[in-house]
Amino acid sequence: MLYCTRKNIRAQTASQEKPQAQLKVSIQTESRKHDEILKNYETIIGIETHVQLSTLTKAFCSCPYNYGAQPNTSVCPICMGLPGALPVLNTNVIEYAVKVGIALNCKLSLSSKFDRKQYFYPDLPKGYQISQFDVPIASGGYLDVDIPIEFGGGHRRFGITRVHMEEDAGKLLHTGNGSFSQVDLNRAGVPLLEIVSEPDMRTGIEAAEYAAELQRLVRYLGVSNGNMQEGSLRCDVNISIRPIGQLEFGTKVEIKNLNSFSSMSRAIDFEISRQALLHSQGQADQIVQETRLWEEGAQKTVTMRKKEGLADYRYFPEPDLPGVSLTEEYVDGIRDSLPELPEMKRRRYEGMGLSMQDVLFLTNDNNVAEFFDATIAEGADVKLAANWIMGDIAAYMKNEKLSINEIKLNSHELVDLISSIKGGTISGKIGKEILFELMAKGGTVKGLIKEKNLVQIADPVEIEKMVDKVLADNPKQLEQYRGGKTKLQGYFAGQIMKESKGKANPALLNKILLEKLNAKS
Amino acid sequence: MAIRAALLLLRATPPQFSLKKRTFPKQALIFKQNNRNFAAKSSLEPPDVQRLAETARITLTPHEVEEFAPKIRQVIDWFGQLQAVDLQNVEPAIRADNEDETLREDLPEIFGNRDSMLAAVPSYEDSYIKVPKVLNKE
Repeated sequence: MLYCTRKNIRAQTASQEKPQAQLKVSIQTESRKHDEILKNYETIIGIETHVQLSTLTKAFCSCPYNYGAQPNTSVCPICMGLPGALPVLNTNVIEYAVKVGIALNCKLSLSSKFDRKQYFYPDLPKGYQISQFDVPIASGGYLDVDIPIEFGGGHRRFGITRVHMEEDAGKLLHTGNGSFSQVDLNRAGVPLLEIVSEPDMRTGIEAAEYAAELQRLVRYLGVSNGNMQEGSLRCDVNISIRPIGQLEFGTKVEIKNLNSFSSMSRAIDFEISRQALLHSQGQADQIVQETRLWEEGAQKTVTMRKKEGLADYRYFPEPDLPGVSLTEEYVDGIRDSLPELPEMKRRRYEGMGLSMQDVLFLTNDNNVAEFFDATIAEGADVKLAANWIMGDIAAYMKNEKLSINEIKLNSHELVDLISSIKGGTISGKIGKEILFELMAKGGTVKGLIKEKNLVQIADPVEIEKMVDKVLADNPKQLEQYRGGKTKLQGYFAGQIMKESKGKANPALLNKILLEKLNAKS
Repeated sequence: MAIRAALLLLRATPPQFSLKKRTFPKQALIFKQNNRNFAAKSSLEPPDVQRLAETARITLTPHEVEEFAPKIRQVIDWFGQLQAVDLQNVEPAIRADNEDETLREDLPEIFGNRDSMLAAVPSYEDSYIKVPKVLNKE
């Protein structure tokens, strides 16, 4: 188990240090005991993800949806569940569902339908949710994931059980200490895709990477912004552990309230430890089927509600909506129009000779990948382009909190910059300066070089003049050099570079300088 | 309230009452399939009206339970009749209707009469609908 391996490494490092306090020793022993316990269990994780589709309007009415809008402003009789109002399906919901189904390598149901899932809750105005029950639009697929090197690396394939369309409920706020809650129905009726995975994940890292890949996928497809903080991508984790060798699954616990990939990974690791400890203490019966909430502040999961048998949702086919039928032509048309997906992009970049670290960085954000693709399409060196993007450009984006589309630099200018350095027009150092100007203010490489007179000086005569001047200005150092203090070459080189305002060709400069220094000795 | 309750309990069934002749056998097949699961039973389970009322969050008096039970039983028996239909040569369908799909373009439109709709909300304050505090689902 990856989790154990990582923990063990940490424990080993700790044991190499001389324990300084009794406390530290006991923590260390505890953690080793803990690792011993974990080794005896196998974890089974399945994930249920809700993806909010970025359609302009809701699933069954024309109300626009904008996150953060004034409460209860985007409502109509349909999404408020007023009597007599009839739903009409948004055509883009089907299109997006088909896109995701194909991208997840699923089998599509050419004929599916909507069903009513009935339960009573104040955020659900109709008293039922329009969902899909026994015939989901897509099922039986998989998602390929590359685990980052720092988490052990490797390629994994996780099964996808099903993808179905449904509507979101409103938002319920429990503010203050009053005896009432507040309901905002703006979100009621917003289209969702529920994506259910097979119980194929074994560690918190694998689960987080599965979710991260789903986020990349929906963003590449342009069907959702995948924003976890805003709740556009919500993951519920089902987790159970069993002693290694045991055939039947352990009791399943559901964890909710995971609003980042790292909290997902930590919540799972916490839950694995909690359950393993109960098992090891002979209290496995304390693990009950329940929903637990992840508390970010306390870094632990707590009971939210115990499940009392299977809820009776009394599903039946939605009588207000016709069935959903797809034609082969329609599906093929969408399949042909799909963009290159993250997995294909990773394999392509890998084939270009980039390291997995580079590959994962470049493909993480679709816009960065497009920028990179545009750069190499214009003939830029693959490794050089990757280095510029992952180095100075990424650092600038991070500092300024900008996306690659928001910076003023375009791919064409990066290509020009790389070739200007490669061709010797400018030095690498000046290239960096220009880059920051291009990112902040825009403009062209050629224009900036001209405007700032930055062309590299590669004329030996001109460099010789500067060398002569610097040597003449520093007679004392020259004497010391000739007296054997040859380290001073660096000092002279620096002075000459300064004299040239950083524009002298370094190789040529050093060659001429050395000739001059050693000439009259 | 009780009348509404009965309607709610029957809500699952309307398509069967308004079936066009053409689509009738297709729908019936589903029940035939279900029937196979209950092969040992000659008729469908009698309704547990009390439980049905609970799942619909409706309070029924014992008298009402008594009154509704035979009516609901009658509806269920109608389904029992459907099981007699011979479906050997009928293709399965997942929906009773044959309607053409009516889809909507993804074009936003703000509902014009929003204010009067919100004015009809029983308890509305600070742009929110006020409801009794509920913290647990199900």
